[in-house]
Amino acid sequence: MGQIQLTDLTKRFGDTVAVDDLSLDIDDEEFLVLVGPSGCGKSTTLRMLAGLETPTSGDIYIGGDHMNYRVPQNRDIAMVFQDYALYPHMTVRQNIRFGLEEEEGYTSAERDERVVEVAETLGIADLLDRKPDELSGGQQQRVALGRAIVRDPEVFLMDEPLSNLDAKLRAEMRTELQNLQDQLAVTTVYVTHNQTEAMTMADRIAVMDDGELQQVASPFECYHEPNNLFVAEFIGEPMINLVRGTRSESTFVGEHFSYPLDEDVMESVDDRDDFVLGVRPEDIEVADAAPDDAALDDHDLQMDVTVVEPHGDQNVLHLSHPDQPSADDALQAVTEGMHLVTRGDRVTVTIPPDKIHLFDAETGTAVHNRRHDQEADFTQLEQ
Amino acid sequence: MATHDNTEHVSDATDEAVGWESKLRYFLNSDFVRSAPYWGIPFVLMSIAVYGGTGYNFAISFTDYEGLGTPDYSTLDLEMYAQALSSDAFIAAAQNNLVLLVGFTTICLVLGLFLAILLDHGIRFSEKFQTVYLLPMSLSFVVTAQLWLWMFNVESGILNLVVTTLGFNPVDWLGNPSIALGAVILALIWQFSGYTMVVYLAGLQSIPDDQFEAARVDGASITRTYLRIIVPQLKEASVSAAVVLMVFALKAFTFLYALVGRYRPPNGTDILATLMVRRAFKFGEWAYSAAIATMLLIMALGVIGPYLYYQYKQGGL
Repeated sequence: MGQIQLTDLTKRFGDTVAVDDLSLDIDDEEFLVLVGPSGCGKSTTLRMLAGLETPTSGDIYIGGDHMNYRVPQNRDIAMVFQDYALYPHMTVRQNIRFGLEEEEGYTSAERDERVVEVAETLGIADLLDRKPDELSGGQQQRVALGRAIVRDPEVFLMDEPLSNLDAKLRAEMRTELQNLQDQLAVTTVYVTHNQTEAMTMADRIAVMDDGELQQVASPFECYHEPNNLFVAEFIGEPMINLVRGTRSESTFVGEHFSYPLDEDVMESVDDRDDFVLGVRPEDIEVADAAPDDAALDDHDLQMDVTVVEPHGDQNVLHLSHPDQPSADDALQAVTEGMHLVTRGDRVTVTIPPDKIHLFDAETGTAVHNRRHDQEADFTQLEQ
Repeated sequence: MATHDNTEHVSDATDEAVGWESKLRYFLNSDFVRSAPYWGIPFVLMSIAVYGGTGYNFAISFTDYEGLGTPDYSTLDLEMYAQALSSDAFIAAAQNNLVLLVGFTTICLVLGLFLAILLDHGIRFSEKFQTVYLLPMSLSFVVTAQLWLWMFNVESGILNLVVTTLGFNPVDWLGNPSIALGAVILALIWQFSGYTMVVYLAGLQSIPDDQFEAARVDGASITRTYLRIIVPQLKEASVSAAVVLMVFALKAFTFLYALVGRYRPPNGTDILATLMVRRAFKFGEWAYSAAIATMLLIMALGVIGPYLYYQYKQGGL
């Protein structure tokens, strides 16, 4: 069984704390993505799981067995490296077979058979006698995967395996990896700094920053109910709009605008005064300019479009306040692709009250998250 | 028709317009000519000194030139080559040369690789260790020879001090013909294993860490990782180090000469280079020595040739 348990895992390199008191349970057959910016400790965590680094303190359990002192070979894991780490002097066949040769219980013929079987699964059977430098990036990637799955491990560990591929191939391999993981039903821990990969592939995402776990939740929850400012900013493309401001009575006063807060929002703010208001770009509604300010609702704003980025299916609008046109974009909004707006247009922007997030300006903790249609059943990570 | 004639006439005129004067001017202005002073002078010097000397040596080897006087080019034959190949001294020297070539090169490579792996495997202060091993390389042959001459000394040498302390009889390192060559090889290895170590260390450090890690995750032991994954990737380093060592082995004359300070090296260590110099400058057998020199050159080419071909195949030339 491939369930993984990390308890109070800490890794220090000299004075630097790479991973700080990380506790995480990963279910059998789960696809967990560890995501975060460079240097957040995600790779170190993976390497500790693999047995390539020894934890300073804390425990690692795989399938219920204590792993801290086991060599990688005895952990029933396989790892895919960022640069593939294919052995350049060996053919694809030898590369895939190498890991199998230390595995007991195979005859030589069975090993050969297994290599061919794995190669066929990955569609590289015709490349078996080539050397790695004769392969394209995508093919090398497949060989690296082949080397991992040939030993039929309980856990796959993947360290940014797709980062060396071009965008189109990456999207293809993403799907393929997911299918493969489904098919093989192997617990997978996948490290990436790419939030798109995290969102699209994960059963659950574990967001890390500065060695600390920020949130573990499904992609949906990470996106719509971030635990804190960091998660809200990290997940989502284009990035969530964040406006700093203070509360005066039941109104949020930001630099460019003020925004009345609903009752249910007020319930959760307690007596805090400094906030960051967040709203996802696609939640902002953009309409034609109102004839005058009187026609504006409380939640409406008049804004100028400074930049339009057409993506085909959607347009990303950079909006600035009419009074401070030269200032940085006040907001970004995403509209449908067919909704044509040109640069310089004045528009009415509505921020729907049920779509806003409020974060404590000091701690970054989420005070209020947007409402859902159906209540999701999840438990928030204890802070 | 008239137009046709005209065009021909015009083209003739253009041909004439680009006459020899313009062609000369173009030629003189070409990169080839204008850069000639820079590459031409060294080229001429090289040609005279190296290739001219080689050619002259080659020519002499076909004559019977001996003693004082000038070579006589009227009768050219391969007599000297035949004479050399049938001489016991030549055969013995060639054998010694071969032993030196193979023994010295192999042990140097193996020892260098071993040291490089140890250093690469993370012995601390490896920078200092590198210097320790590389230092002998910076010494001249004369210094090495003198140093080892002291150490090889029968009565007071440190080697015999060790041997007698262990309860054995003192060994005449350089005087015993069956040991002398081994002793010489030992000294040369001392000097050159640092070089092979540095070459291997560079090779090892260019192998990314994830190769080691992948092998670890694959469950390979350290020995197996090195044998199957790492050492095979050092092929290029081995080839280039081996070529340098073999060429040094062929021209180990300096070391042997410095060891004894005369043309006659210790018994059992005579190699082609020493034989050649002795024959030429002690006995004045110029033609005979030239023949040996030519064969030595062919042997050196035999070492370098495959290497150049290998480089060429790899696209390095």
